[in-house]
Amino acid sequence: MNFTEFLSSYGGVVFAGLGAALAVILSGFGSAIGVGLVGQAASGLMIEEPQKFGKSLVLQLLPGTQGLYGFVIGLLVLGQLDAGMGLAQGMYIFAACLPIGLVGWVSAIAQGKTAAAGIAILAKNEEHSTKGIIYAVMVETYALLAFVISLILVNAVAF
Amino acid sequence: MAIVKMSNFSLFAFDSKREDLLHELQEFKYVHFSDIEMDDSLKEIGLTDVKVPESLVAIDEDISKVKYGMDLLGKYYTKETGLKAMKKGLETFEFKELEEKALKIDYHSIYNQLKELNTEKEVLRQEISKLNTAISELNPWVKLDSPISELDSFEQSEIVLGTIPKKLTQKLQGELTDTKYTYFEVLSESKDDSCVLAMTSKGEEELLKDILRNNSFSRVKLTGVKTPSEEISDYESRIKRLKEEVTSKENDIKILANNLPDLEVEYEYLLNKKLRFAASEKFVKTDNVTLIKGYFPTDMKEEFTNAISTTLNDYYYLEVEEADKEDANTPILLKNSKFVQSFQSLTGMYALPHYNEIDPTPLLAPFYLIFFGMMVADLGYGLLMLVGTIWALKTLNLSDQQRSSIRFFYYLSFSTIFWGLVFGSFLGGIIPLPALINPAEQYNELLVISIIFGIVHIFFALGVKAYILIRDGQPLNALFDVGFWYMALTGGIVYLIAMVMTVPPFLKTIGFAVMVIGMAGIILTGGRDANSIGGKAAGGLYSLYGISSYVGDFVSYSRLMALGLSGGFIASAINMMVDMLVAKGIIGILFGIVVFLVGQAFNIFLSLLGAYVHTIRLTYVEFFGKFYSGGGKEFKQFRNKPKYINIK
Repeated sequence: MNFTEFLSSYGGVVFAGLGAALAVILSGFGSAIGVGLVGQAASGLMIEEPQKFGKSLVLQLLPGTQGLYGFVIGLLVLGQLDAGMGLAQGMYIFAACLPIGLVGWVSAIAQGKTAAAGIAILAKNEEHSTKGIIYAVMVETYALLAFVISLILVNAVAF
Repeated sequence: MAIVKMSNFSLFAFDSKREDLLHELQEFKYVHFSDIEMDDSLKEIGLTDVKVPESLVAIDEDISKVKYGMDLLGKYYTKETGLKAMKKGLETFEFKELEEKALKIDYHSIYNQLKELNTEKEVLRQEISKLNTAISELNPWVKLDSPISELDSFEQSEIVLGTIPKKLTQKLQGELTDTKYTYFEVLSESKDDSCVLAMTSKGEEELLKDILRNNSFSRVKLTGVKTPSEEISDYESRIKRLKEEVTSKENDIKILANNLPDLEVEYEYLLNKKLRFAASEKFVKTDNVTLIKGYFPTDMKEEFTNAISTTLNDYYYLEVEEADKEDANTPILLKNSKFVQSFQSLTGMYALPHYNEIDPTPLLAPFYLIFFGMMVADLGYGLLMLVGTIWALKTLNLSDQQRSSIRFFYYLSFSTIFWGLVFGSFLGGIIPLPALINPAEQYNELLVISIIFGIVHIFFALGVKAYILIRDGQPLNALFDVGFWYMALTGGIVYLIAMVMTVPPFLKTIGFAVMVIGMAGIILTGGRDANSIGGKAAGGLYSLYGISSYVGDFVSYSRLMALGLSGGFIASAINMMVDMLVAKGIIGILFGIVVFLVGQAFNIFLSLLGAYVHTIRLTYVEFFGKFYSGGGKEFKQFRNKPKYINIK
């Protein structure tokens, strides 16, 4: 079997699998970095004011959602995988996974930085800490849009 | 309704009665004082600022004493935690009750006792740490088995102790082989240095010292009389005794720990007292008369004048008038029905309205309710919320604020249940339910529904803007800024629908025509505030460019569908894992239960948090952006916000 034959008979499932993997991997990278950033900032606060743990946890969780969106897309692709799927379908699914993978990655880091800054609001002016949450959520909008498009793309075209 | 009507007052009263008056007004609580700014015209008629620095300093001192006691006792006082404490909640006091109780508490004596005990404890602690240092200094020399006092008492020989760098030890030993009457020993080694003992005859002393000096020797003088190990054990037994004393002091402090609740009451009382002094610095006075200005809710006029006349009898002059609509300094107090009131915190978090605006809370509440439910959209989660909030409202002793925020989620649970039924989702599909819309398959329909909700939401907001403009007597502006936008947007939407779906062709033409008229109107009127013709044209075009932001606004509502979907998918992914585990037998079932509970709990938390903040975003950015500016001052009740107790 040469490479062309391999590509035409198995390329579909390889690309689709790669897409699912990237959707999970890239958005997971981003969320891990984002959640980590906020966690570091929050740890400093816990030394002085451990009673703010609950609120800091909310801020820390915010950049975690991108990883979950990627996970959902990965799961949806998983349902469509089939060893005999065509190359075109596989590459299409691969493309469908890119929005949440890439946007999820970058936006989770940006959101993590915003949420980490929100920890400062929590530290100095607890009453207004919800505003820090809202700033961070502004960033999430773009991850949500990417998620919606990935979701529609994965299901839009029937092969 | 909505924004409470305010009256402003000017009160002239005798300065000698000031404190009594403030006390009475604090009990009444609905008074907001204005800070009267001193200017030349007031100075000319002989008014001066009221200053009470001594009272403020004195009360700050008392507060810091009470706080000191609270901080110290907080470490030893075991507060009830968990369910029992939640049921009990914070103790509630009437304002009078609080004062009576606080005046009986002798916090000075508690403070003095605590201060004394704590100081003694600190002294003991310092002593212990001194002894510990001494021990660590002696530790390297424990091998030395002769008493320290005897080291200097030899007649024929000389003994030196000291440290040299570890890496020079070999070299030193080599150089010492030349001497005749010198003994050398390494007693112990630390990371970098060796502790050494050298003994020599008086004759060779100089030679030894030279060699040592060349090897970076530094001499150590030990303190004490007995051998180092004996000294150490002496020190240790002294430390033990001191530690016992520290514990006994701590026990004495612990006995006082029961005073903590009293101190907390005292603390709240003192903060309220401080607020009274701080308030009087806002007033101005002549030699005998104080001028006080401020606001109170109009419908409480009777209570307000009663409070004044009871303390001042007839010796006062009071002027009251309705607050001016346009006065930006009028403080804002919101009053709504029970349902709307639980959404008030959302308005407060954004910005309170100006006195001439409308309270947006009743307008945002129904949309918030629908959108929140759509984002969580699970029958199981909704039922859990309902049961949880009802339980909390029935059994827990909550402050008004906590009660209102729990009621907020109580109302939201109904919407969550409703949407859960629409989507046929129960804990992520663990029990199959008939669905009106199946989100996993009909997400396109769901997306359309979301956008339609968005259109309704935004059109409603524009409608409110038109209402405000017409109310303020600017019907033309309402037409220009809202009417034309309605036309452009509606026409555009109809036109777009006609392009992708088959509808009677005249609809497409009408849609197009309406859109063009609307757009033309926007171009012609959008720049009407500019001075030049060019400016007007550019302003009009720029206004029309705003249509791109409307597109963005509509797209933003796709989150209604996205959050519902992602929550649902995560829940079903958890259920999938549980299914796999359960198929593995008994142990699998046990693990499955754990995964199910933890996973679903996590997803509930995440879904609620996501729905809460994303609905806030839709409200603040898309909805408020159209008609609401806010920025009013909060009506500050003449009470300090209590932390440790509830005050009625």
